[in-house]
Amino acid sequence: MGDPKEITTLQTSTILISTIIGVGVLPLPLFAVRAGDTGAPLVTLSGIALAAIGLFIITVLGMRHPEKTIITYSQEILGKWMGRFCSLFVIFFFLILTGLASREFGEVVVSAVLRETPLEVTVIVMLLLACLSCRNNINVFSYIHNFYVPMILAPAMIVVVLSLKNANVLYLRPLIGTNFYDMFTGMLTISALFQGTFIITMIIPSMKTPNKALKASFWGISISGGLYLLLVIATVAVFGPEEIKQIFWPTLELARTTTVPGNILQRLDVIFLAVWVTAVFTTLFSSYFFTIHSIKEICHLKDHKMLSYFILPFVFILAMVPKDILQLYEVIQYVGRAGLLITIFYPGSLLLIDFIKGWRKKKSVSQQL
Amino acid sequence: MSLFRNTKKRKLNKIKAKPLVPSKVMEEHSDTPTSSSLKETEELIKEILGENDDLDIKYFKIFGQYNAALFYFPNLVNIEIINIDILKPLMYVPEHLIGREKPLPQLIDLILNEALYHCQARIESNIEKLIEVLLRGETVICIDGIQEAIHIGTRSIEKRSIAQPETEQVILGPREGFIENIATNIALLRYRLPTADFQVKTMNIGRLTKSTVAYCYLKGIANETVIKEVEKRLSEIDIDAIMDVGYLEQFIEDNPFSPFPQTQSTERPDRTVANLIEGRVAILVDGSPFALMVPVVFNQFYQTTEDYSSRFLMGSFVRMARILALVFSLVFPSLYVSLISFNPELLPTEFAVAVAGGRAGVPFPAVFEVLIIEVAMEVLREATVRLPKQVGGALSIVGVLVIGQAAVEAGLSSPITVVVIAITTIGSFATPAYSAAFALRMLRFPIMIMAGIFGLYGVVIGIIFIFNHMLSLKSFGVPYMAPVSPEDYQGVKDVVFRSPLWWMPKRPNFLHPDNRNRLKKNNNTVLKHSKIGNDQREGLNNGGSERNHNTSNIDNLN
Repeated sequence: MGDPKEITTLQTSTILISTIIGVGVLPLPLFAVRAGDTGAPLVTLSGIALAAIGLFIITVLGMRHPEKTIITYSQEILGKWMGRFCSLFVIFFFLILTGLASREFGEVVVSAVLRETPLEVTVIVMLLLACLSCRNNINVFSYIHNFYVPMILAPAMIVVVLSLKNANVLYLRPLIGTNFYDMFTGMLTISALFQGTFIITMIIPSMKTPNKALKASFWGISISGGLYLLLVIATVAVFGPEEIKQIFWPTLELARTTTVPGNILQRLDVIFLAVWVTAVFTTLFSSYFFTIHSIKEICHLKDHKMLSYFILPFVFILAMVPKDILQLYEVIQYVGRAGLLITIFYPGSLLLIDFIKGWRKKKSVSQQL
Repeated sequence: MSLFRNTKKRKLNKIKAKPLVPSKVMEEHSDTPTSSSLKETEELIKEILGENDDLDIKYFKIFGQYNAALFYFPNLVNIEIINIDILKPLMYVPEHLIGREKPLPQLIDLILNEALYHCQARIESNIEKLIEVLLRGETVICIDGIQEAIHIGTRSIEKRSIAQPETEQVILGPREGFIENIATNIALLRYRLPTADFQVKTMNIGRLTKSTVAYCYLKGIANETVIKEVEKRLSEIDIDAIMDVGYLEQFIEDNPFSPFPQTQSTERPDRTVANLIEGRVAILVDGSPFALMVPVVFNQFYQTTEDYSSRFLMGSFVRMARILALVFSLVFPSLYVSLISFNPELLPTEFAVAVAGGRAGVPFPAVFEVLIIEVAMEVLREATVRLPKQVGGALSIVGVLVIGQAAVEAGLSSPITVVVIAITTIGSFATPAYSAAFALRMLRFPIMIMAGIFGLYGVVIGIIFIFNHMLSLKSFGVPYMAPVSPEDYQGVKDVVFRSPLWWMPKRPNFLHPDNRNRLKKNNNTVLKHSKIGNDQREGLNNGGSERNHNTSNIDNLN
């Protein structure tokens, strides 16, 4: 914690953007279409809105305690042992999240690019990369995210723009889906893709001006949310809802249909995947970083460097638990929805208790006066 | 007890009996002042330096009265100065002193103030210091009956003339380069910076070489903490010899295990001055024609002084070409490997067929093919550097043309591989900073191996790994990838694109300069000219008036 506080507002936004955009980009249109058919954009939009509420809750909490993370201020709000108990859930959840993200990444790589390479190898290479990078301090963490954001945004935007010539607006109508229950669960699934935003609680204590955290998180979620929305609109407009339901990773399919004018490269999907590796890395990096730093804080450790290696086997084992890709996606959806309890409901109730406590304190102070 | 004392004494005697190394003798006498007797001083100096045949002692009489001796190393001094400026006024009494009394106690004052024609004459009475200056090429005069000795700066060392820097050539810009002599180098800097803010601090490093190390900065611009840090890191060095500025670099850099250079060395005084003005600290060493600049960021390794001295469009264009070359030198072979062996479907069909045809006779996988040619290329490159110039040209022709052609014909490699390697090698030569180009040259191999194992995925992982390392590097507290990340609005105008000078009114913030103003507000007349006088559209509108203006100018001239 001895690092100087020099993370800027822009860096905070870029951390959020690159954390949010990750593995989820590929199956996102599928989740949306399954839930709302042609109403997929609306489902996505509501998912983003829900995620934004969660993000604002955690940001406001962080701004009320600008020196602390959720691990430390929960102990203050709920009491020492209760806070620690809840923090354990948070840590465990992010451990699972890291594992699942790396597994999902491995599945994509193995089925789309490296067909003969064992799944374990691709997963462990990615985890090693995150693990080694986590040995740096939080300032380097923000530099890394800041650096990669343009490289993450650009290819997705290019694919969206180039694919628009095949788009058919009719696929987007009617705007509202039919089954509202499905749409609701779809909204939950999509907002679960934004759970990486929890990282902001780690960043606020190291920000130069914690007061601007709300602005940073607003820009972070609107840029990444906007990109998600565009991707869903583009995919649905190109393929139509019925076809998307047959594909695992519609975004990858979208990249496959686009070509660069000039016939320099025959196909774009491999290039897209190569750049997408960067996006996955930043997401994994964030959740891994969050996990080891939370453990560090809950155990009052001084150094996180060895811890980074120590966690690696656990994440790897968790990543290998699902049997196959179908089970993996089921698990991802369940864990994601359950995780909303941790990423939205838990901070929400913390904020409520904190408000009540603050209100009471004010009351008692004014009574004393 | 007494018995023990005796043995101790005997031991001491034994050590003394062994002839001591001259420097040890000197250390022993470090506190003893020179004796007033000429004979004693002479013996002491002889004891320390007596074995040297190149030490000369000249006995003479000052003003015909007092016995004196002159000590010097004839190879290190300018004999003419000794003869004309020292011996002559001392032996042949100057006109204004004729007839005046010259008592012994005032003799030194008389000599220094009225007789000697030399500005660097000083008094010293410590034998250790006298020996030290003697060894640096000064002349020492000892006078019988006077305790102090006079030493005079008569050093004259052969040095080469100022030449064009060999490693950093430019088309537009100054042609001067540093030489080995530090005095000349500091003069080259002072000549460009005639300001009181320019500070030069010197120290001696190296127990044997006692090399003069100077660190220079602009007070009020360079950050104080950086200056202090430089001073601290330099003063902590304790080594026997500093032969070049590269020795210092290895001691003061932040991360010695990183392949990337964390200091920049340059042969060009103009570049050094430009860096000083940006707020960096330059370190010079006597005997090295390079200056070391700290702190550095990565983007300055592909910038040249030419970028700034040429017009901004030219500078930007050239810089972009250089960045492309940098990227090529790092990833081109590995991209080739991964496209050929993992994703041939990315290539246009006709080209893929051509590549396959070229590779038809090659028995190895693409990785090995590229690795073999790369290694051969590295050997060739090293050979061309070491070979005498006359042979070098022949070797490069034989090596590159003949061997390349033969390798293709023999089926060792495909023609496209040779093309790829050639572009890579040329690309790595386009990077102006040798050390940075070297870093990428080394990192090319691990990425190639990654490409051979994982294809494009491996390349991307390798690149992410390199970038993460670069982002975590720091040079004297400045993040290595600044101003890109952490972002710096002023600095980012000068990364890929070299913005016009008037777009950059402030010094980049990432060096934390104490004074940030580069341009003065409202005072830039160049800007006004370019807006009013030279605007073509305006010229069309007010064509008449402009012509009038021109004719009036001509009238004035006449």
